[in-house]
Amino acid sequence: MKVGLFLGCNMPALRPDTEKAIRISLSSLGVEVVDLEGAACCPAYGTFWSADEEAALAVSAWNYSIAEKAGVDMIVQCGSCYSTLKVGRYKLVNGKLQEINEKFLSKVGMKYEGKSDTKHITDFMYNDIGIDKIRESLKYSMEGLKAVVQVPCHTIRPSNILGFDDPENPVVLKNLTRALGAEVPTFTRDKQCCGGAGGYARSNRKAAMEFLKLKLDSMKEEVDPDCIVVSCITCLMWMDEAQDEMRKLGMIDYSIPVFDYNQLLAICQGHDPKKVARIAATPRDEVIQRILENKI
Amino acid sequence: MPVRLSEERDPELIKQIVEVGGEDLLKCYQCGTCIADCPTGIADEPLSVKRLIHIAKLGLSEVLIEDESPWMCVTCTGCEERCPRDARPFEIVLAIRRWQCMEDETYIPQVLTELYERGHTQNVINPMREELELPEIRSVAANEEMLEKFRKLLRETRVVREHAYMFGIQEE
Repeated sequence: MKVGLFLGCNMPALRPDTEKAIRISLSSLGVEVVDLEGAACCPAYGTFWSADEEAALAVSAWNYSIAEKAGVDMIVQCGSCYSTLKVGRYKLVNGKLQEINEKFLSKVGMKYEGKSDTKHITDFMYNDIGIDKIRESLKYSMEGLKAVVQVPCHTIRPSNILGFDDPENPVVLKNLTRALGAEVPTFTRDKQCCGGAGGYARSNRKAAMEFLKLKLDSMKEEVDPDCIVVSCITCLMWMDEAQDEMRKLGMIDYSIPVFDYNQLLAICQGHDPKKVARIAATPRDEVIQRILENKI
Repeated sequence: MPVRLSEERDPELIKQIVEVGGEDLLKCYQCGTCIADCPTGIADEPLSVKRLIHIAKLGLSEVLIEDESPWMCVTCTGCEERCPRDARPFEIVLAIRRWQCMEDETYIPQVLTELYERGHTQNVINPMREELELPEIRSVAANEEMLEKFRKLLRETRVVREHAYMFGIQEE
């Protein structure tokens, strides 16, 4: 299997250990990861989409044309990249494609024919690779650990355009996490957004933290998880870093480590945690230690 | 801020919002489902798409241009999924942002210039890559020829053309 890895901006800029985890865990599953020569920002909703939709579609088509030329579909971890690439493609193939090609891509000798598509990495792992193959690749297990999942909003809504999971009862990330051996309980605010994306945390940090606290308190009180599993760079950074800030502000007195799914997968496959799970504001050493004590 | 009905109405406002992608606001019947589980509901001044639509329908341009709440959107699209009229409230939020950018260029996100400069919202070439044994970045940020093409493509877009000086582009 061959896929183009769409990096986006936040992952390579701020969490390259997550990129490492994705590359190495997919490689352990026999997937060939291709780099997209000249790919740019997705672009994010807070950029061209907020000022000039045609420009946003031109940038989206730019990225697709690169993947298409390489003969691959893109996989992406960042929820925001996933959503904008899917919505971008939807608008392109449902009417705007020719116009965008003529007005923009043709001026730089490029073209998007509407063939190449995008998949979220959890969709790809669940539906293309499959749980069995993931299980077979493991050397360590999360047996005995309790994990809750943060399903990225951008991977389930709007479901008519980008959904690969049930928007009201998403199971993909839960089942992927269970495949690592973890117990994945449900709690009241299971499906709540993390509050980290868009302009919320930037324009009203206090409210965004209060909003996150509702979710953290709910999981802490009801299931007391050992860690939170995400598959979106924004969920990862926000839930990890805001917790640290909230502890300093006295808003919470507990600490729940946050991992990207592929970081846990890579650790369970026996890859070096110092490379695949190096960066965190909320310490994760104890969870990593417990996984490494669980040799299969 | 309360909506004062005595304020001057702008009959063009609703048309302008529709033109930049907000056509579905005409479907809204003000039920408020869009704000029922909006993450910003916990804020002192939440983002209310319902209210923004009402302001647009009343033609209160002066009120709408001052309202920064559309920029608070988390982009979770919960409203999009739940709207019983399929009015796509998130698309309306984006359309109002676009209208604001056109009416008042100080709304144009600064980050657009970063995108023009290096193709990304930030510096994607992290020095830690080597230590992590990651391959070199192959994105537009590390490819001068592609970056030049990317900038050329962006110069064809309306927002860059009309605000060339913001992007450090010399008028020809």
